[in-house]
Amino acid sequence: MEHTVNYLVCIPLLPLAGAFVLGMMHMLTCKNPLPEKLYSFLAMLGPLGSLIFTVIIFSTLREMPAESRYLTQNMFTWFSAGDLHVDMGLFADPLSTLFLIFVTFIGSLIHIYSIGYMAGEENYGKYFAYFNLFLGSMLILVLGNGPVVMFIGWEGVGLCSYLLISFYTKDRDNVLAGNKAFIVNRVGDLGFVLGVAVLFWGLHSALGGAGFDYLNIKAGASTLTAGTGLAVCLLLFIGATGKSAQFPLYVWLPDAMAGPTPVSALIHAATMVTAGIYMVARFSFLYASYPFAGDVVAWVGILTALLAAIIGCFQRDIKKILAYSTVSQLGYMFAGVGVAAYSAGIFHVFTHSFFKALLFLGAGSVIYALHHEQDIWKMGGLKKKMPLTWIVMVIGALALAGFPPFAGFFSKDEILFMALAKGHWMIWLIGVCVAGLTAFYSFRLIFLVFHGKPRDQKSYDNAHEPPPVMTVPLIILAVGATFAGFFNLPAFFSGDSMVSTWLAPSLLEHHSEASRVTEGVAMVLSIAVVLLGIFYAWKKFASKPEDKPLTGFAKWGEDKFYVDEFYNAFIVQPWIAFGRTISNFIEPNIVDLPVKGTTWLYGVLGMLFKVFQAGYVRVYAIYMVIGLSLMSIFLSQSL
Amino acid sequence: MIEDYLVLSVILFCIGILGVISRRNVFTVLMSIELMLNAANLAFVAFARLNETMDGQILAMMVIAVAAAEAALGLAVIILLHRQKGRLDSNVFSLLKG
Amino acid sequence: MYIDTLFSIFALIAIAGSLGLVLFRHPMQSALCLAVTMISLAGIYALLSAKLIFLLQLIVYAGAVMAMIVFIIMFLNLREKDLPEERERFTYLIGGAVLLIPVAWFMIKVMKSIPGVKNSIVGNGFGSIKELGQVLFTNWLVPFEIISLLLLVTLVGAVVLAGIRRESND
Repeated sequence: MEHTVNYLVCIPLLPLAGAFVLGMMHMLTCKNPLPEKLYSFLAMLGPLGSLIFTVIIFSTLREMPAESRYLTQNMFTWFSAGDLHVDMGLFADPLSTLFLIFVTFIGSLIHIYSIGYMAGEENYGKYFAYFNLFLGSMLILVLGNGPVVMFIGWEGVGLCSYLLISFYTKDRDNVLAGNKAFIVNRVGDLGFVLGVAVLFWGLHSALGGAGFDYLNIKAGASTLTAGTGLAVCLLLFIGATGKSAQFPLYVWLPDAMAGPTPVSALIHAATMVTAGIYMVARFSFLYASYPFAGDVVAWVGILTALLAAIIGCFQRDIKKILAYSTVSQLGYMFAGVGVAAYSAGIFHVFTHSFFKALLFLGAGSVIYALHHEQDIWKMGGLKKKMPLTWIVMVIGALALAGFPPFAGFFSKDEILFMALAKGHWMIWLIGVCVAGLTAFYSFRLIFLVFHGKPRDQKSYDNAHEPPPVMTVPLIILAVGATFAGFFNLPAFFSGDSMVSTWLAPSLLEHHSEASRVTEGVAMVLSIAVVLLGIFYAWKKFASKPEDKPLTGFAKWGEDKFYVDEFYNAFIVQPWIAFGRTISNFIEPNIVDLPVKGTTWLYGVLGMLFKVFQAGYVRVYAIYMVIGLSLMSIFLSQSL
Repeated sequence: MIEDYLVLSVILFCIGILGVISRRNVFTVLMSIELMLNAANLAFVAFARLNETMDGQILAMMVIAVAAAEAALGLAVIILLHRQKGRLDSNVFSLLKG
Repeated sequence: MYIDTLFSIFALIAIAGSLGLVLFRHPMQSALCLAVTMISLAGIYALLSAKLIFLLQLIVYAGAVMAMIVFIIMFLNLREKDLPEERERFTYLIGGAVLLIPVAWFMIKVMKSIPGVKNSIVGNGFGSIKELGQVLFTNWLVPFEIISLLLLVTLVGAVVLAGIRRESND
């Protein structure tokens, strides 16, 4: 079967070309903008085109034999130095194709939704240019044929998240949030770059000048020494914590809510945060060989899940709650890939992208209807005004909480069950607790926003359902959030685990078998915990919610356990002080010294020679004669 | 001896330089320059006689033409300067002074 | 020989005239001294068999140029207060003479190193108008044309300077 195709490049190229065209149009016409319809039409072409090509690739791969299912395209040699040979090439295998499917599909839906949400906004064209660029970068990340090409996309999504988070540049807080996202991501990116460098250093003799791409890395991975391999895994994981918002680098994600709501949906559901999971899964052949690295990943993931879930229970801002839920769900995914249940983790990424996009876009509708009110304590009773939004949000919340048969149930339960089956019962236990917390905070949101009495009558009266261009994507996503779980129905429900089977060629996975009884008991237990969470939320918030000031532990939770303050005091402030020292003391006194000294020297020399410049013609003539005289003395020596 | 003519030209030339550097009166400076040109002419003519070719004399003719032009322009400039400042002191015209 | 005697006389007059040029305070006196120098130089050219240069020196230099300088000096109607003070001029003269001693000494040394010829009047053709004209319009035609160009430029320059003067009068 031929593995080389020439249409792979179209997938990232279409949105990138769209970004270029839109950006140019916006730059040239920003004084008197073109009609919004033109921008929306052009913006839709890229994502939809990519979606079509993704479907083509998917069907091509399906026809290949399972053990050699991949497509490649080499465009040109990017650089070649010594043993390091990097081709600008793309690579599609079942893992990247799965990512392509939901990135392009959900990305397109969010584009459609944005047309309605951003209508009438300033810089409409710029928004869609960034959006297309974001999608294109994510597609490069997913399709890159090696870590170096992946890094282009990796940095591209970082850049676009910065641009979009601080999209409303007139507010200083938004810009600071964008900066924070960018800088925190840089910390993770350093880990990623170091990891790739160490990986090459360990492999360079095995590669021997062959292309530095996944196929060759996988072939040479067995030659890595234990220490090098472990270092690579841990460094790459630092990169993943930055991009996928895991402890200790998760702090940027809640602040990223400063951007427009569809941006949050895009960051949280389809792009950016899933990059870390993708990368760990992509290097599953390494992580599988180093169980310690896997344990670190799993523990960091599950503890992040717990921490974020606790913080999420006490937040007031509807988008912040969802942001912490994302951090928490990403923690699940890392727990999944950490215990070597890669397909379960990836499947959770897949389902999560549906219901998280749904929740964000639903929250966007609520915010849109209430004219940018985000505090859930100022909402309430919206069920009557926005029935459709209510239904889709409940579906999303059920999927998030992991209630059967919604999407989140199958994927999350798969992760928890795999953790239990592989003997990580502590992780399983924490995971079940987090499931309960998740159910609690997601239904706290539902009850406070849609049930009870309106707490702000004026904005309640003005609330209304959004236009169809926004509701249609919501309905599609709601259908996805309901049924996406059935794609990977486990054997317990006499399913055939379609997604896991599809992903099997890309991942190095050992399936552990546990008894059906254990699986059943675990499942019932987690459903019970979820029901308990929902019931507690109903009891506390459904009928008579009280907005009283939080105290004690809850106060800590509301203030995010002061992690930001801790970072500020122990990392940011010392660093700023260090920078101040350099700029106020070292820069002017040490670095500038030669420069200032040179100018001073020439100044003094100038003052010295100025004396001779009398300005009288006669004096210059005298100088000439002096020179003539000295020349004569010198020449007459030799005569 | 022909060298005596050359020595005379050197002496006249040096006296011309002396006039340029020691005098402040612009007329005297201009005339000192004319004197230097004459000294050069004398050297040309003496060399022409020494080699018995007439090229030196041709050069001397050309120097005379240049000197005439120089005198014409120099005098025009002097008149302009005198009108501007009302003085003939070359130290007054110190526009180059920093 | 009468040539050497005549040369000595002319040389002494020329040096005396040039010293007068440098030393006299009033430009009119300096100009007359320069005229004396030029006339004696014309005599020296004659001693060197340069007949045409002798004529030109008398007509163009001693005649036209000096007449113009004298005319301009008189035209400006210089009075005592118009002249620079020049109290320090003897200091400059002595200092300049000291500076010029090495220059003069070096150049005289160079001149003396040339193998000497006894000066005498050479044949009829040498330096005459016809011979000189033939050389000028065969070997030296291009420089001659360039000189004419120079004179043209001088003419234009003089007109421009005159134009500036008229504007300043308005």
